[in-house]
Amino acid sequence: MPEIVVEIKNKSGLHLRPAAEFVKKAGEFQADITLERDGKSVNAKSILHVQALGVRQGMTVKIRAEGEDAEEALAALEELVYNKFGEE
Amino acid sequence: MVGIVIISHSLKAAEGIKEIAQQMGREVPIVAVGGTTDGDLGTEPLAIKEAIERVGEVDGVLLLVDLGSAVMNTQMAVEMLEDELQRRVVLCNAPILEGAVVAAVESAMGHTLDQVRRAAEGAAQMEKLL
Repeated sequence: MPEIVVEIKNKSGLHLRPAAEFVKKAGEFQADITLERDGKSVNAKSILHVQALGVRQGMTVKIRAEGEDAEEALAALEELVYNKFGEE
Repeated sequence: MVGIVIISHSLKAAEGIKEIAQQMGREVPIVAVGGTTDGDLGTEPLAIKEAIERVGEVDGVLLLVDLGSAVMNTQMAVEMLEDELQRRVVLCNAPILEGAVVAAVESAMGHTLDQVRRAAEGAAQMEKLL
């Protein structure tokens, strides 16, 4: 299964707004996408699950995708994280 | 897009929940309603009906309520609506805050009223502590 490991660099981590952006982006793809931190894995298309994961600045997360558009999904999510969700 | 009406005994609570949910998508129409005309805690069918009508041009309207009599007053408000609007309105069996957050994300993703409702109702089973 394709996966990437990224560091969350924006100040607020995956708090409400960035998490929403992440989930909405994940939702654009057919692939099943999971977000993992410290061995805990959640559905990346579920805002409450992503919130529950409690990802803060400086943490490293693993994003996995499975499905026809998995590679595109990972590329899009990586870009979103890289651009700090448009935040600082 | 699906609009959301947040109905609480307290207007402050409804507005606060709206504020959080709106973070999920600025473009999602969300209306908060609550309290009585006397300024007490409670809900009133007419105020809820007007709140639903204020949502504006949307594909459907999801109603989220807090407790007890808010359910009955919301059902009465729905009965007061004109038929055309009434068909596009659904009362959701979800926890009000978590449901509103999920619904706002799902609405921003362009999902249908039924999809948004089911996702919001799924919030009741979600673990907060992983």
